Amino acid sequence: MLNAPGKARMVTPQMAAFFALLFSYPLWSNSVGLYDYLGLEIAIFILYALGFNLLLGYAGLPSFGHGAFLGIGAYAYGLSQIHIAQSLPLGLLAAVIASAAAGGFVALFLAHRRGIYFALLTIAFGQVFWFTAMKWHSVTGGEDGLLNVLRPRTALMSLDLSSNVTLYYLVAAIVAVSTLLLWRFVHSPFGAAIQAVRMNETRARFVGYRVWFLKWCVFTLSAAIAGFAGGLFCLTQESAYPDVMSLHASGLVVMMTLIGGGFVSFWGPVVGVIVYFLARDLLGAHTDAWLLWYGLLFMGVMLFEPEGIAGAWGRLVRHFSSGAPTAAETHREPAA
Amino acid sequence: MTGTALFKADNLHKRFGDRIVLEDVSLAFSGEGVHGIMGPNGAGKSTCFNVLTGMFPPDRGRITFAGDDITGLPAEQILEKGISRSFQIMTLFDEFTVLENVLVALPGVRKRIGRIFYDMRADTALTDEAAATLAMVGLAGREKIRASDLPYGERRALEIAVALASSPRLLFLDEPTQGLGSDGRARLGDLIAQLKDRFSIVVIEHDMAFLFRLADRVSVIHWGQVIAEGTPAELSENEWVRASDLSKAS
Amino acid sequence: MDFLLPHILNGLALGLLFALIALGFTLIVGVMEVINLAHGSLFAFGAYVAMVIIAEGHGEGISALSWYYELPLWTRYLSALVIAPIVVALLGFGLEFCLRRTYGKKKEYGLLLTFGAALVIEESIRLVWGSAEQTLTVPSAISGAFIAGDMIYSIYRIYAALFAAAAIGLVWLFLEKTPYGAMVKAGAHDGEMVRALGINLSRLQLLIFGLGSALAALAGIILTPIWGLRPHVGVDVVIPAFLIVVLGGIGSFWGAVIGGLLVGMTVAMTGAFASDWSIMSMYLLLIVVLTLRARGLFGKKTALES
Repeated sequence: MLNAPGKARMVTPQMAAFFALLFSYPLWSNSVGLYDYLGLEIAIFILYALGFNLLLGYAGLPSFGHGAFLGIGAYAYGLSQIHIAQSLPLGLLAAVIASAAAGGFVALFLAHRRGIYFALLTIAFGQVFWFTAMKWHSVTGGEDGLLNVLRPRTALMSLDLSSNVTLYYLVAAIVAVSTLLLWRFVHSPFGAAIQAVRMNETRARFVGYRVWFLKWCVFTLSAAIAGFAGGLFCLTQESAYPDVMSLHASGLVVMMTLIGGGFVSFWGPVVGVIVYFLARDLLGAHTDAWLLWYGLLFMGVMLFEPEGIAGAWGRLVRHFSSGAPTAAETHREPAA
Repeated sequence: MTGTALFKADNLHKRFGDRIVLEDVSLAFSGEGVHGIMGPNGAGKSTCFNVLTGMFPPDRGRITFAGDDITGLPAEQILEKGISRSFQIMTLFDEFTVLENVLVALPGVRKRIGRIFYDMRADTALTDEAAATLAMVGLAGREKIRASDLPYGERRALEIAVALASSPRLLFLDEPTQGLGSDGRARLGDLIAQLKDRFSIVVIEHDMAFLFRLADRVSVIHWGQVIAEGTPAELSENEWVRASDLSKAS
Repeated sequence: MDFLLPHILNGLALGLLFALIALGFTLIVGVMEVINLAHGSLFAFGAYVAMVIIAEGHGEGISALSWYYELPLWTRYLSALVIAPIVVALLGFGLEFCLRRTYGKKKEYGLLLTFGAALVIEESIRLVWGSAEQTLTVPSAISGAFIAGDMIYSIYRIYAALFAAAAIGLVWLFLEKTPYGAMVKAGAHDGEMVRALGINLSRLQLLIFGLGSALAALAGIILTPIWGLRPHVGVDVVIPAFLIVVLGGIGSFWGAVIGGLLVGMTVAMTGAFASDWSIMSMYLLLIVVLTLRARGLFGKKTALES
């Protein structure tokens, strides 16, 4: 189960640890051989994956085309900066609105679907968006994408966003606030309702939930969060390109979320994103075939520990805290 | 009695492909006490139940509840009208705790679905309400256990508690004795006897002895039709009931 | 009409090739209810293995086999057609062995596991053969072109379409005329029945997964001379295969064939008028068909829906 029984505490040890890590990153990253820009990528992808897990872990809807919404957010951000005005709030607003609109439209076709039909349709829609980004040269810049989306000079409080460290703190603050909101969200009645739908759709209908509408909402919300992350992504790398929308990229976020343990823990996606980017940089420095090892890791997780790292960690904690199974933050899920 | 019926179904037809499952079924529940529906397996009583509670619409016919036409309404709207049901095959939210299973089914939680900062687990008014519902079915003290970890008999009780959470005017119980031993059946019988003071109840059951002890009126369904109806005493005299295989079913 | 005719012929030929791609996929999904997302990678792997067997720039370095590489090209091509599918079937056996741990769990696990396997196979190919575009040499008898009327026809495309039609026919014969086919059809409808018939279900599953993988490899060998060969060609194959099978209706053999023809026709027609968007048309086709018919053209209810 994703929610601990009892009250939703405002701050849990996991959350404190995450925030400590998030905000202190620039202080120690260089001394352990990491770099500021990596922190930006990780923070943005954490937001993306947390939003994605609303769909995958909480609602139990496996989307294999979520990269499309990250990409739409990035393009919307970039286009607003190029064609309207260089403004951070405008760009992020455009990103959220565009991706929510696209997500809301796609969800009309998906919200009553289940299982592989849902999965395949997300692939199909993802491919449609990806192809459009690739082929609609006049707007998207084709395969090269939108280049030179300069970071706004004076965004909020006249911060100098050209510095990666300053930008990092801004992004980290945004990610932290979003994480808190998501944490509250999954513990709200809506969060409980989408989990109820995942566990037993029929019963959820018969206790009064409009299942179709709930699924539509959660898909749209998840798409909007992906688009928000996409806007931040475009802000950070000063460009938007179709790669993030490919099936390959969409698949990677599924793998990150599951390796981390999105099925059993709110924090699973956070762990999964960190593992992915560290593997990319650390393994990637040694071997071109790092994705091979990452793929094997994913297969191993699916075969032997489908609850991912968070699930394994939860079991470890329970093992050493001598019983009290209901007190642990993460719970063992039956074969579901 | 038709004039005062709380729930009335007229001339329901339902077919799946070329198999006719319900053929001109008419039923009326007065809303007092326990109304039983019985019949052998495969007689169409489960389909009948599913049509009555909005799982799928009838092909023809009309269903009214408290004077409102509810034919073909989706399940969640039928629930809003005051009809709730349990299921023959267990349909719990397995990864939730016992308490959460009932909480999520409370109208008070459902009504607050748009409130992101609302924490239902911290609202004592709601948790008390859920705990009271659990106490009603004998699950007091079991609140924090995961639904999937409950023993079978208690899962059956929770199945009923989730249906009770919406405080329905009419409660449909689908084969509640399914899988229970004689002890479990006895306890369940006591529970239903208590509940019938507060709720109008319709029970599907193929265990004739169990149903005849509990029900005030019984409708017998066979071959997709209502073949007999009356009090248990009247029915035990009925030729149809005697002649059919029903007695063997119990 | 004269103007459309070549496009229709092209669409038919392409459709047969799409159906060939979907054959192994539909067999596995029908019997085992597993969405094999590694199908495209098995396709690519089969083509790479065939490339080595045919050689022309690969593998001649191994002196112990030099006698082999002196055999005529068509002999090596024919042996590739036999050996590569067998090699890939062995890999399929291994994959099915891994998949066993997911049986009885939620259907998504099989899909996710094969998704990981696809990545692993693709990256392994990249490691062994590099990322560069490769080609598959074919005997001169089936290459080249001829002119009929005003049109130039590629001999290889005609060969490939005929090969695809023959493969479809053989799989159909296998399903209809052999005892294994009867088991497969029983399994396609009801796993319980297979057990009731006293058939060894796990052996049947192993066999079907191997056969499906071999068919993927065969499709790879036939299609590579047309589509080219890159490590990530798998994605371009598995998604159309998945799409065609759902379009036709899961578990329906003729649904997959008709789905393939429909996709081929759609892609060819779109290609004729707006070539940039030809691939995208198949996704739009899927969205339209599934919106109108929830389970595809000939689909029945399956466990994959929940």
